[in-house]
Amino acid sequence: MPSESSFSVMSITRRQFVAASGLAALTGLAGCAAAADPELGGGANGNANAGGSTPVTNGAAPLADRTLPLPMTPEELRSKARSGGPPKDGIPSIDDPSFVGADGVDFLDPGDPVFGVARDGVVKAYPQKILAQHEIVNDNLGDLPVAVTYCPLTGTAQGFERGGTTFGVSGRLINNNLVMYDRDTEAWWPQILATSIPGPWNGEPGTSSLREFRLVWTTWAQWRALHPNTKVLSTDTGFAKNYGRDPYGSYNPVGGYYSNENTLFETLSQDDRFSKKRVFMGARTPDGAVAFDKAALLEDRIMSGELGGTPLVAIADRRLDTGYVYLNPDELSVTVDGDAVVVDGETYEPDALPLAGIHTFDAMWFAWHGYYPDTNVYA
Amino acid sequence: MSTRNNASFKRFGAAVSRTIAAATEVFRRPDATLVVVGTSVGYLLIYLYALGHLAPGLGGVDVTIVSGALEKFFQPELGPLSFTPVARVSVGPVTYLFSLNTVLGLGIAGLVGLNLGLTYLAWRQPAACGIGSSSSGFLASIPAVLSGTACCGPVVLIILGIQASGIIVTTFQFLLPIAVVLLLGSLVLVGRQIDPARL
Repeated sequence: MPSESSFSVMSITRRQFVAASGLAALTGLAGCAAAADPELGGGANGNANAGGSTPVTNGAAPLADRTLPLPMTPEELRSKARSGGPPKDGIPSIDDPSFVGADGVDFLDPGDPVFGVARDGVVKAYPQKILAQHEIVNDNLGDLPVAVTYCPLTGTAQGFERGGTTFGVSGRLINNNLVMYDRDTEAWWPQILATSIPGPWNGEPGTSSLREFRLVWTTWAQWRALHPNTKVLSTDTGFAKNYGRDPYGSYNPVGGYYSNENTLFETLSQDDRFSKKRVFMGARTPDGAVAFDKAALLEDRIMSGELGGTPLVAIADRRLDTGYVYLNPDELSVTVDGDAVVVDGETYEPDALPLAGIHTFDAMWFAWHGYYPDTNVYA
Repeated sequence: MSTRNNASFKRFGAAVSRTIAAATEVFRRPDATLVVVGTSVGYLLIYLYALGHLAPGLGGVDVTIVSGALEKFFQPELGPLSFTPVARVSVGPVTYLFSLNTVLGLGIAGLVGLNLGLTYLAWRQPAACGIGSSSSGFLASIPAVLSGTACCGPVVLIILGIQASGIIVTTFQFLLPIAVVLLLGSLVLVGRQIDPARL
């Protein structure tokens, strides 16, 4: 958003593109659970998408052992990049974030979206209204350097391990999705793909995937209720921004770009089975991609599917109105009981099933299908 | 050829002189001055709102100045003619962001105001105007709308459901310069028709 600006190329930037209509008149991870598949690594809330990790060397971002699928060759992807308006770092990442306690938050309404992470005793929430203007926060979760990223135009919030480097906003979009770059190698990293592709600043970065961790897209009220001791990204970011104004639309209530059928640029593939901005819980591994309709999952509480021939089970977490996807190769009996999940007679929390979890995140339908046209879909 | 050019320059020089004289006259008249100031202020507010630099905010009363403000003042943010805000002023429900765009906006707003001020003068003093018509004032509104569209054009596209393309994006980057040129042109066009001696 973008975004996405004034009178130059930038004037049609993503942000202005979706500004208030009143003006018109004027002019894989396998985040695995306890019994996680070691090849997939991680937990439902955890890390490692395509697999384990490569040790951090120098400043480079740590890489997953297995590379995630791309919809076309890296060179073809590069050719699909469009200037979203802002130049490199024109949308500034937050590189020195500060946090406040839940009691110190007076800028969030209960229904405002936040992206939450709770791991290794660290609990943090990143408000969507701040991320909409920065898209990337280079932070640390305890001793782990991470990048918290958000693309307003595709509705995707994804966490990456960053090692000794930081990530910035390239100003380009592919499939309307944020293209990040790392400041160590300057390679391009399309956010959803989480995989390096060539760009103007590094023409041969190789094709590798980042290690990911789960950010839960939920509301401030729900996150705070579950994690009362959470820290929250402060509006004191070092930038003069108006965090009360979302240049793209509104999530509380949903409106503007986030609910209409418009996209800034053409999508990589067309599919009219669902409205463009419908939210799906997407998951992908080197073996393929799968998407569960979020509203249907929250209503049904449990859905089943398949990925690369392996049975899956998707579980809703009503505490946070989100969902998790697990591999269920042995087709264990999985049922829901209240807010708990019963697997082979034992009760578990939705995010801690004794199955190999697959890294899952929210995405607008057009964005998911654009990158993964062969995705399995359950709605 | 050079004689013809000289004649053109002389005519242009005379038109500019008349425009300057007429503009000076505008500020000698309280009513015309009010038109200029009112139009400029109104346009600037709308311009800043269109940019998102004047909009509802998080509330409270607060003034924030970023570190290294002078260095960042000329730093492009969302595009070549969109600059990084270096200060934030929150007063109740309204938040204002100060950037080089405020200075640019002031310039455009001044031109729009002056255009309408001269048009007002021509309308109120038809005897001083060669053609005695106020219709030329509409000329000022064209670049004014254009410069506004430079900010809001993408909104128009969204409303119309038009997807952006390289051509459209490229076109939009020229809107501000075009608007400035047209505003200056219409200023001279209107100003040259006013005879200060007959005001």
